[in-house]
Amino acid sequence: MEYSLYDFRDASLNIQIAIVFIVVAVTCTIIAYLSILTGRYKAYRREKKLARLHPVIDELLMEHILLNDELTSDIPADQVQLPIEVFQQPVFGKKWARQALINRLIHYRNNVRGSMGEQLRNLYIQLELDKDSLKKMKSRKWDLKVQALAELTSMNMSIADVTILPLTNSRNRELRAAARHAYIKLSKNEPFKFFDVVTEPLLMWDQVELFRIISTTEHIAIPNFAQWITYSTNKSIVSFCLKLVVHYNQISAVPAVIKLLDTKDHYLRADAINCLGKMKIEEVEEKLIHIFNSQPQNCRVEILKALGRINSGKYVDFLRQEFLHSTDFEIRKHAAKSLIRNQWAAKGMIDELIETATAENKLILKHSMNPLIKF
Amino acid sequence: MLKVWETIGRFYENGIFIYGTILLTSYALLAICSIIAVRNYAKKDTFHQENILLSSPLAPGITVLAPAFNEGLTIIFNVRSLLTLNYPKYEIIIVNDGSTDNSLEQMIKEFELTKVDFAYNIKIRTKPVRNIYKSTNPAYAKLMVIDKVNGKSKADAVNAGINAASYNYFLCTDVDCILDKNTLLELIKPVMQERKKRVIATGATLRIANSCEFDQGVMTRMRPPKELLPRFQEVEYIRAFVLGKMGWSLLNCVPNVSGGLGLFDKEIAIRSGGYDHSSFGEDMELMTRMCRYAYDNKIDYAIRYIPKTLCWTEAPVTVRIFNRQRTRWARGLAQLMYAHFNMFLNPRYGRMGMIIFPYNFFFELLAPIIEITGVIYYIMMSVFGLINWPTALLLLLFVYTYSVMITTIAILWDQLTFRYYKTWREVAYLCMTPFMEFFLYHPMIVFFALRGYFNFLTGRKSSWGNMQRRGFRSAQPGATAAAK
Repeated sequence: MEYSLYDFRDASLNIQIAIVFIVVAVTCTIIAYLSILTGRYKAYRREKKLARLHPVIDELLMEHILLNDELTSDIPADQVQLPIEVFQQPVFGKKWARQALINRLIHYRNNVRGSMGEQLRNLYIQLELDKDSLKKMKSRKWDLKVQALAELTSMNMSIADVTILPLTNSRNRELRAAARHAYIKLSKNEPFKFFDVVTEPLLMWDQVELFRIISTTEHIAIPNFAQWITYSTNKSIVSFCLKLVVHYNQISAVPAVIKLLDTKDHYLRADAINCLGKMKIEEVEEKLIHIFNSQPQNCRVEILKALGRINSGKYVDFLRQEFLHSTDFEIRKHAAKSLIRNQWAAKGMIDELIETATAENKLILKHSMNPLIKF
Repeated sequence: MLKVWETIGRFYENGIFIYGTILLTSYALLAICSIIAVRNYAKKDTFHQENILLSSPLAPGITVLAPAFNEGLTIIFNVRSLLTLNYPKYEIIIVNDGSTDNSLEQMIKEFELTKVDFAYNIKIRTKPVRNIYKSTNPAYAKLMVIDKVNGKSKADAVNAGINAASYNYFLCTDVDCILDKNTLLELIKPVMQERKKRVIATGATLRIANSCEFDQGVMTRMRPPKELLPRFQEVEYIRAFVLGKMGWSLLNCVPNVSGGLGLFDKEIAIRSGGYDHSSFGEDMELMTRMCRYAYDNKIDYAIRYIPKTLCWTEAPVTVRIFNRQRTRWARGLAQLMYAHFNMFLNPRYGRMGMIIFPYNFFFELLAPIIEITGVIYYIMMSVFGLINWPTALLLLLFVYTYSVMITTIAILWDQLTFRYYKTWREVAYLCMTPFMEFFLYHPMIVFFALRGYFNFLTGRKSSWGNMQRRGFRSAQPGATAAAK
């Protein structure tokens, strides 16, 4: 050893570096193999333990909660004393087993309704599993916080606004989404209050998640989205509210949406036009025609689509003109599509166009008329 | 005179040593970056529910583009596989690139296709489109087939598909690739979750399909390839995707989104001019042009990668076909470097010009050349008896152990996150491969790369070649997915 160390000191820098790299490489390779081995072994053990525990939990839940006739009385669920002693087994003293029990309770609660769901919640409280969730809520790790929020939301446990609201603006996307989810589900007073405090843009994914939560949560008071369309300075909130206005066909918000046609942001303007078209607001057609020429391409396309959706038949001449004279292919295509949607008012016009149009325009018309082609 | 040669020799040796050390250090840094990116992804992925998007009216539309040239053996199987994708708003465009077999006839019959008057708008110039077909069966309403004159390149076919695409994002794949059913859900997520940047492309890990089992176009059992050449490629893919591209993704420096599977922003792709049909590395070329366009137009872009395996492709099993593939890739790289050399160390192109381009130039393009000069140098030195064998062997051991380590780490990252292989034996089988890679696989890669450069420099004509398909293993005994 002494000899080799002496050799190493005397070796050139290249050789010294090479030896260091060889030692590092061999060590790392061995560690990597051991990690693969232990990783797979741990996962195998975990799966095996859970495979043994899940049937035990399922049996206890079935026998003592879900199929227990004594629990189907008229007494309110939170006043029923559950046979919790059967769950007080040594295995449930372990953290992983308690977590498995929570996950199983959530799974069952998501699949049953009414009093059974309430009994599962009751069991969650009586076994003091909510304390486990609350402990995770206080953790500094975001993933544990997200897990806790998901558990508390699934079990319909109330959380103080002061705890959740700051999290709805968290920089961590997952935590932010979980907090918003929890807030809408659990807030008794104003489930949409966080719309007022959101400073960051709502990402496309956030919108998808929120849309689902809002549209699937039962007994939620839907506010008038016009308040955010008019006053929010967060463009993504305005854009999202426009989608909700369409979803809930909120006619009362239409004046606010029409006002948005004057906004300088053309993406937002296009969203507003899209909203008005989908809601088939006939009164807005004239304004749309009036502003058409001053709009960028995306807004023009939305105006043409809106005229097709509203389908009033009043502006077929305008659509014909755009179809014949626009130099933009997309504009011509959308004008043709809207003309076809207004077919009841433009039958003769369409026949005439097919006969007299250029080859390309004729193709566009046939494209628009073909039911096999969607776009 | 001897002293001059000695000085040159020493300079060369030291230069190569420094080059090698920088290259190996950059691999180590990539390994660190990739584990951060892979673990981040895995941690966040446990909280995402794909089914949220599946039922959402807000899901962005995606066009799936798959060019096909003489894929008659597997075309029906492959289109059926694409039709099983989970996504609420997508269309499939198969571009029949002037096949001379009965691919088109098979599709017309199987999917009840009929010619439609489609207003085809030429945004990117391609060879003429003969006809466009749609299915009369509502079950195949998502499917559209474009029949065009052969453009002698995948690029021309994909460009025709882009012209006909209805949605703002398109997924480019090869018709012979098998996609995971959640591919679209997974690839659109980075686009929808990006905070400030515009995601212009996303990619995911590709694997070798050769020994995997499939049922009706769906992968049911993943196995490392039994044959040695595809197994080397499997290991190479894990290293390139899980370690390399994930590491680059963390730094927002992804150099390329694979042609086998990539989701692209259609607007940027069209504005960048679409795929270059004269390029032999059209995927990397498009990516470079899209980045260039983004820099030129001050678009704060991002290219993202995900470590999940979403695509399985059949790897060449013979050296002859493998040679053709790698020669083409190397030629594509040389073409790309030549065509965009003004981006090299150009601060105007940000990370692309200052990191990706220099890295690709020094460690991808030059690596085979430097390696071959090293081999020649070794041979000359040993012929003249000037070699110090203990030192030479030590340096060889240094490179060997390091290359084994990097590949093993890539396998570890993959195993820590996704336990794709069912048995220990399969993992062990894969772990043994890096030990042979250095002596058997790597020399081939170097040789084929040099051949590609030679073809590029001499302008030698080389065809795209036709990958000889052997078909996929079916999960159902006796029901082979495709005839050999």
